[in-house]
Amino acid sequence: MKTLLHVHGLTKEYGKEKALDQVTFSLNKNTATALIGPNGAGKTTALSMLAGLLKQTSGTVVIGADLKGDIRREIGFLPQYPQFYSWLTALEFTEMVAKLSGLDGKNAKSQAERTLDFVGLTDAKNKKTGTFSGGMKQRLGLAQAIVHKPGLLLLDEPVSALDPMGRREIMNLLKELQEHTTILYSTHILNDAEEMTDQLLFLRKGQLVEQGSLREVRDKYANPLFKILFVNTEEAAKFVEMSPWPARQENEVVLIHLEENKPGMNEVLQVLAKSNLQLSKVERASATLEEIFLQVVNKHE
Amino acid sequence: MDLNSIPWMLILPVLIIQLLLIIVAVIDLYRVKYTNGPKWMWALIIICFSIIGPVIYFIVGRRNE
Amino acid sequence: MNNFSILFRKEWRENVRNFKILWIPLVFILFGISEPLTYYYLPQILNAVGNVPSDMVFQLPEYTPDQIIMSTIGQYQFIGMLIVAFGFAGIIARERKNGTATMLYVRPISYTGYVFSKLAIMGILIIGSACIGLLANVYYTNVLYGAVDAVAFIGFLGTYSIWLLFAICVVICSSAAFSTGIASVVSILLLVVVQLVDSLLGTYWTISPWKLPMYAGQILNGNLDKTPFFWSLTVTVVVVVLLVVLAVYLAKRNVSKAKI
Repeated sequence: MKTLLHVHGLTKEYGKEKALDQVTFSLNKNTATALIGPNGAGKTTALSMLAGLLKQTSGTVVIGADLKGDIRREIGFLPQYPQFYSWLTALEFTEMVAKLSGLDGKNAKSQAERTLDFVGLTDAKNKKTGTFSGGMKQRLGLAQAIVHKPGLLLLDEPVSALDPMGRREIMNLLKELQEHTTILYSTHILNDAEEMTDQLLFLRKGQLVEQGSLREVRDKYANPLFKILFVNTEEAAKFVEMSPWPARQENEVVLIHLEENKPGMNEVLQVLAKSNLQLSKVERASATLEEIFLQVVNKHE
Repeated sequence: MDLNSIPWMLILPVLIIQLLLIIVAVIDLYRVKYTNGPKWMWALIIICFSIIGPVIYFIVGRRNE
Repeated sequence: MNNFSILFRKEWRENVRNFKILWIPLVFILFGISEPLTYYYLPQILNAVGNVPSDMVFQLPEYTPDQIIMSTIGQYQFIGMLIVAFGFAGIIARERKNGTATMLYVRPISYTGYVFSKLAIMGILIIGSACIGLLANVYYTNVLYGAVDAVAFIGFLGTYSIWLLFAICVVICSSAAFSTGIASVVSILLLVVVQLVDSLLGTYWTISPWKLPMYAGQILNGNLDKTPFFWSLTVTVVVVVLLVVLAVYLAKRNVSKAKI
């Protein structure tokens, strides 16, 4: 796979504070990368630097050889809270930024129309953006980021401000875009990251603490486990006491981590049968990204 | 002062422009979503202080978002 | 400069839609015509208002046309400058603060084109309005006080426009440098307070941009002191160029202050 972007030792200092500390990663062409981390981890700082809005204190950003000329032409950026000139209509704005990104007059207009159709703003394209709702602004924000068909799309929390319906729609649009665009997006909603990602970057306090594909990270952190759901917490607590394997209780659920595939399902069921405890479900599962995220963060605490 | 002696051709433009300013300010006040301070207050200021009212409204009252 | 026309179109749309394109010329015209009218009819107005003892006679000095025009300039120098400073201090700072500029700054824009789009719209609004206002003013002065020499008036208008260009550049440069609030204070200081200081203490020097309106008046009444005028003009033009260069530099440097 071709590398589109290589970031090496990217650091941003504000006085003594390090907002970003020696971050190194690469993005392959036409892949989606999720930048995840708690608030204040440096996600926005990292994206702003790649978008050219902030200057790094040190470190290098190398953009792939197939992006020539002014690289800002090849970048689309969606800020977390996109703000628009309230007196311009959606179409006027999109057309303007398309021209600023180098599209010529005619092209800019038709491309702006097409992009607004794509993000679902066909009916609102001649309305002033000052009247737009949060969801519409997010769509227009996406439209302005993709109108010039950039090679690299940088999205800061593209869906976190949306309701579940809007989130679904935007995620579907992003998946469509991802087929011919390299996407780097930040999120703290891990379900979204799970859905569209070739690479995960975990940021914590400005440091890149873990990276890899979803599968790699899962293999590393999320040993498969048994989830046993009891009818109440007392029953669960009793089981933790008698369990022959190390077990962890979360309310009515008891988790047993597997090590080298031990114990097997049969052994667990036998123990449970003998215990006479009231339970409602036993399943073998792998950890969700959320659980991995907590593990990654805790590990570096 | 006799009404006929008033040079209306010279005074009239002043009155027209004042009126225009007030109309423009009122239309704008009606159209904008937010102002700094209540809208009725700005309506009063625009109408009562004929020249300076609309100017103060446009500079201070109008919120440029 | 390649984005100038695109960015200028945005500025134009803004100022048409927020009515600046209407109210600024209207205000300048209003002051332009009410000044000669008020002076001319002041005695009659005072008499009509009454409360004046009949034996008291108003000895108003006889005004010459150029004095009326300069008195209008006095209004422009105060109210006009307040409009320039308060109405435009946010021209760059505001879009940086509210985050709208972020979507311009991520694109391959030229900051020279960006600053010039601001300069052009302010030039049209301010210099255009002042010129229309002064033309209305000279018409009224002509009717009420007598003829004004056309060539002298053009020289006067040109000189005053250079001063306005200087004022515009001061505001744009402060807006590129500071937040809207600080930019308006800095602009008021430089355009109104320094003007006052220059007129109070200014007998000690003759070359200064703040003296251009005074020299414009001298052109009008035919008593122009050529050498200090020439040098003031040169200094002002040089300062204007420096302010524009500085504004471009600051606009670019402060990109990182834009709300993201």
